[in-house]
Amino acid sequence: MKYIVLYLVLVVSLFLPFFVPAAEKAAMPMPLPELVLEVPENPRHKEYLGLTGKTGTDFSIRDIDADILVIELFSMYCPYCQKEAPAVNELFAKMREISKNGPVVKIIGLGVANSQFEVDHFRDTYEIAFPLFADEDKTMFRALAGEGTPTFIGCRLKDGERPVIVLRQNGGFASSATFLHELIDKGGPQ
Amino acid sequence: MRQKIFLAVIGIFLDLAVVVGNGLAANDTLHDSIYNPGHLKPVDSSLNVAVGEPAPDFSLPSVAGREVTLSQYRGKKKVVLSFVPAAWTPVCSDQWPGYNISRKYFEEHNAILLGITVDNIPTLHAWVRQMGSLWFDVLSDFWPHGRVADAYGVLRSDGTAERALFFIDTEGVIRDIVVSDINVRPPLEEVVAKLAAMP
Repeated sequence: MKYIVLYLVLVVSLFLPFFVPAAEKAAMPMPLPELVLEVPENPRHKEYLGLTGKTGTDFSIRDIDADILVIELFSMYCPYCQKEAPAVNELFAKMREISKNGPVVKIIGLGVANSQFEVDHFRDTYEIAFPLFADEDKTMFRALAGEGTPTFIGCRLKDGERPVIVLRQNGGFASSATFLHELIDKGGPQ
Repeated sequence: MRQKIFLAVIGIFLDLAVVVGNGLAANDTLHDSIYNPGHLKPVDSSLNVAVGEPAPDFSLPSVAGREVTLSQYRGKKKVVLSFVPAAWTPVCSDQWPGYNISRKYFEEHNAILLGITVDNIPTLHAWVRQMGSLWFDVLSDFWPHGRVADAYGVLRSDGTAERALFFIDTEGVIRDIVVSDINVRPPLEEVVAKLAAMP
C-alpha cells in the first residue's frame, strides 16, 4: 500500500507541469481588444490588409480582411525575434499559400517599444514582406497583455461575433507548418 | 519484489526528470535570465570629458581574449563607445543585440563600436554568448573597478556605469556624447544621426 501511494505521488508530480499549460489554454478564446493603427503607406500592405482609407488615417485591427489574423509582438532589439525572423517569413509564405483555397490567414507585426525607424530597420534586415507597425509607447503590447517578445497571438476575426483571441504562443514556434495547422484548427469556423 | 519495482520506477522518474529538465534548459530565454533592478535614478554621475576634448585613452581586455586600446584606431577609424550599466539587466540585454544587426550603419561611416561594462570577463562571456555572437568587441572595465567609466565621468555611485555613448573621430577627439536615462534605450536613429554628423 505504501508503495502504491508513493507511485501515485511520483506519477502525479511528473505530469503536473503538463497539466498546467493545458489549463491555461482552456482560457481561450478571449475577446480581442480594440486596437487602432494607421493605414500604411505601402500600397501592397494596404491591399494585403484590405484597407481603403487614406494613408495615415486610423483603422481598427478588426477591419483587417482576414478570417484568422496573427499578431506578432517583436522588437528589433530582441535577439530571439531576430533569430525567429526567417521562420516567421516562412510562416507568412505558407499563410499566403493556404489562403488561396482555405481560410484567409494573415499576419502583422507590432514593434514593441520600437520607433518607426527601428521597425523599418528590422523589416529591411530580414526582408519581411508583411506589414509591421511601431508600438513605441507599448499601448498595444499592454492591451494584448504581452509578456515578452516574440509572442504570436492568433485571432479569429470572422465568425459573426466579436473578434476573439484563440491562440497565444510565447516565444518562437518549433515548426511553421505545425503552428499554422494549430492556428487554423483553433481559429477556423467553430 | 515490490522494492525492486519501486526502485525501477524511481530510476525511470529520475531519467525523465533529467530529460524534462534539459528540455527546459534548452528553452530558457535571455529574458528568463534577466535580473530586474526596478526603476533607477536616471543619471547618477557627472561627465569628466566634454565635446571637443581628446578622448581619454585606455586599454581593456575583451571577451574575445585580446587587449583593446582606444588609440589603436587613431587615424584609421571613428570609434563609438557604448557604456551599458551591467550584464544580465533589462535594456542592456537588448541594446547590443540591436546594434548587432546595425553593423552597416557603423561601416557606412568608417566607425567601429566598442561595448564596455564594469563586469568581469567570465560574466561578460556568459552574457554575450546568451545574446548570440556580436560583431563588435565587448570590453571589461572590471579592474581597477570602473576606471575607464570614471575617467569619462559615467561611473555611478553604486559601481555600475551609465547608459552612455561617446562618438570619437579618427583624431581621437570626442565629437558627441549621449548619456541616456539608464532606464531607457537610446533610439537607433539617434545613433545613426550622430554617426553621420561626425566629421
